[in-house]
Amino acid sequence: MSPRPRLDHVRRPELLAAAAAVIRQRGLENARVADVAHEAGTSAPSVLYYFASKSELLKEALTSAEERFYEKLAHRLEQLESPRERLLHIVHSATGEGDYDAALWMELWARALRDPELAATRAELDGRWRRTIAEVVRYGQERGEFRTADPDEFAVLLASLLDGLSVQIALRDTEVTPDRVRELAVRLAERELGCELPEGARC
Amino acid sequence: MTGAAATERGARERILAAAVDRIARHGIDEVRIARIAMDAGVSTSLVHYHFETREALLEQALDYSYELAGDVRLGPEGDVEELGSVKRLAAMIDQCLPYPGMLERDWILWVELWLRAARHPEMRPTAARLYARMRGWFAEAIATGIERGEFASDAEPERIADLLLALADGYGVRVLFGDLEVAHARREIWAAVQDELGLPEQPPPPLDPAHPQD
Repeated sequence: MSPRPRLDHVRRPELLAAAAAVIRQRGLENARVADVAHEAGTSAPSVLYYFASKSELLKEALTSAEERFYEKLAHRLEQLESPRERLLHIVHSATGEGDYDAALWMELWARALRDPELAATRAELDGRWRRTIAEVVRYGQERGEFRTADPDEFAVLLASLLDGLSVQIALRDTEVTPDRVRELAVRLAERELGCELPEGARC
Repeated sequence: MTGAAATERGARERILAAAVDRIARHGIDEVRIARIAMDAGVSTSLVHYHFETREALLEQALDYSYELAGDVRLGPEGDVEELGSVKRLAAMIDQCLPYPGMLERDWILWVELWLRAARHPEMRPTAARLYARMRGWFAEAIATGIERGEFASDAEPERIADLLLALADGYGVRVLFGDLEVAHARREIWAAVQDELGLPEQPPPPLDPAHPQD
């Protein structure tokens, strides 16, 4: 066997998807490089070739998962003409199954408290999420559909509400269902922005 | 209880307290039994006597800290007769935010706990119990305020309790990471429920004079 890792058959995006799956399942603490390699169908040296540490693996896995999330979100938002439908879609995208990765976010939060590099990753990803929300608010204000409210302030408010609720969903708090979450978020947005969001709009 | 049993129980608590402290300072993944034993002033064999495995110790330490953090959060928010519902609600919101010092430490544990509970289903009942207690704590305070005519009569206690809990967690994380000041978070949370409860526009100042305000 060649001492050099075989890199030909596995690509970085596949490794990142495998890493995200393993972290989600076992937590970063128990995620071994061998597990990630197994999940990706490659060898441990191939994984180590790309990632120097577990922190880096988490950072990259989360960043790439978010990248896909935003790509999909941006594409979908563009297709929606109405600002109100865009806002509703944002709420749904954060409360749906699978897209918004609460387990990875919790790993990030816990580690970012002590790891400056991960703290920077968190700040960057959170900033992007908030800007996405604020842009939709500005768009709605330009079209005269949302009332004057500070878009950035509103973005922190909505993001905080959705984060708080997604923690409770992740902990399987039976009182907090995705429907309940949507209802709370939609009513908060309606009140802050002085508008009515469409009932049961397609998302 | 005999003297020996009391000492033994004291040792167990000391071990748990030392573990909680280590977790808060270094993160759960970095905690070593030998260090905890040293902090608690006991031998590692005594730690193993009380806790079969490292995992068991960490789980129980978090459980213990959850209860402690819960007690802080559910803590001395003041008597409604003395404070009135408006000031009492403000004090309860303050109990849920990471003010520098003790509350901040509890918050760090809180985040570790989320992570642990998300990963380990056996930790979830503890988490769910705590959230249920806090939800009840807020809902009861709101219902009392409505009864006393201090909050709007058509406010929905459970819904607003859910809103407050989620906002406290979501803003709390951002305060912990330094995105915003705790006084700012407090004002925004207040504003989010102000209309529905019929509250004054500005929250009353924090009960604790050491807590920063706008």
